[in-house]
Amino acid sequence: MFSSLEFFIVEAFRSFRRSALMSMVAIGTITVALVIFGIFILSVLNLGNIVGSVSSGLDITAYVDAPISLEQAGELQIQISKMPGVEKVNFISKSEAWKQFQGEFGTKLNLSDVVSNNPLPHTFIIKVKQPDLLPGVAKAVSNIKIVDEVRYSGKFIDQIRSLVEAVRIGGTALVLLIAFATLLIVVNTIRLTVLARETDISIMKLVGATDAFVKWPFIIEGILIGVLGGVCSFLILKFSYEAVVARITTALPFLPLLVNQPILTFVYVLMIIGGTALGMLGAYISVTGVLKAEF
Amino acid sequence: MIEFINVAKVYPNGIDVLKNINLHIGKEEFVFIVGASGAGKTTLLKLLYREEKPSDGKVILERVNVADLDAEQVPYLRRNIGVVFQDYKLLPKRTVYENVAFALRVTGAPRSSIRRKVMQALELVGMLRRANAFPNELSGGEKQRACIARAIVNNPALLIADEPTGNLDPATTWDIMQLLEKINRRNTTVIVATHNKGIVDDMKRRVVALEGGKIIRDQMLGGYSV
Repeated sequence: MFSSLEFFIVEAFRSFRRSALMSMVAIGTITVALVIFGIFILSVLNLGNIVGSVSSGLDITAYVDAPISLEQAGELQIQISKMPGVEKVNFISKSEAWKQFQGEFGTKLNLSDVVSNNPLPHTFIIKVKQPDLLPGVAKAVSNIKIVDEVRYSGKFIDQIRSLVEAVRIGGTALVLLIAFATLLIVVNTIRLTVLARETDISIMKLVGATDAFVKWPFIIEGILIGVLGGVCSFLILKFSYEAVVARITTALPFLPLLVNQPILTFVYVLMIIGGTALGMLGAYISVTGVLKAEF
Repeated sequence: MIEFINVAKVYPNGIDVLKNINLHIGKEEFVFIVGASGAGKTTLLKLLYREEKPSDGKVILERVNVADLDAEQVPYLRRNIGVVFQDYKLLPKRTVYENVAFALRVTGAPRSSIRRKVMQALELVGMLRRANAFPNELSGGEKQRACIARAIVNNPALLIADEPTGNLDPATTWDIMQLLEKINRRNTTVIVATHNKGIVDDMKRRVVALEGGKIIRDQMLGGYSV
């Protein structure tokens, strides 16, 4: 078996060198396909990250019109913060809110001329642990008798949620589609290298080579092509992603893009594994097809 | 050793190449299959190494019906049959040595025995000195010798040669035929398809003549024509 393995590897490299142009085409195809695939995955991941950080900045605002003492306000604050899913509750009293309002607009117009009494309610700003808890917590807070009104960006959250969902489903479908298209291209490219050696295969078969024996050198060659395609796409993706992120960060520094996270390393490793698998599977499918059709 | 029983072959395009072939070939025989082009010689040989399957009948080789073999068993059948072609079918980018070794390599033979067997085969066909030459550096006769070396390196019980001298001049043709006789003397059954009248008449061996897909003559110590 060792002797055969050595034979397979030697044959694979020999054929790789002999049909150098074809091998380069196959490597190029895998590289381009994987880079597109990688760009797509990185975009989805970054979009998810942006959506996540936007959602985590959302909170619920509860208003209380009735005159309450600071003590009562403190009790209410504790009551709300004990609710499941609530992370933090800030209280802004009626007068504090008025002061803030005056501070913001007071220089432009004299508010005392327009309204004699402070019209603002007491305000509780509630932060929840996860964005999807917002509707539940909002409902629970609105059930408190003394609370007059509860506001949260429900519609916005729903939109973001459906966007994330659409990206997830559409993304998965697109990823599968791209993977399938890539496989077809690779199968066809490797098929050409197999067909180019039709004579070799027919002679191998005539002198008593089994199908498995004929296939192995091609599969090893496919793995070789796949690994090289994977490494090329990894290098292109890594350096271009880093360059693009650096530019975007300079222009839009508030945008939370993924940098140096383990998930990126995972994507890069996926490129190499994906390339290897594509090369191997492509070679297997094409050599099996050619053997069935031609011999 | 070989038995064709009521064998017929019709190609998918409807042409029937062989009709009701009944033929027995014993161990260590030397047989010429003669006939004009299109008489069915090549198809008859292809049935033996399962390049083709008969449409009807049995092709028995060493008590096994070759037609019944699964595709997975065919490679093992072929390791016991050496085949020599008119166009040599040598791998152009490999040396003579590598071409011959290839036949052993594909059977998974250990490297230690490959060298010894290849050298023996090359010596038998008189090609030891040309072992490192590439096919395009060889004459027609040398190419055919290399092809024969590859066919016998596995020490097959049966050697099939399909028009082995079709591309060779008369002197070289004679050399190759003597080589095939030599291999036959080493207990190998040899079947040669040819339409070379000269060698058939000179060698006085068993002759099976085909015409229109039928055996029209089977004669010991025969000539090309009656």
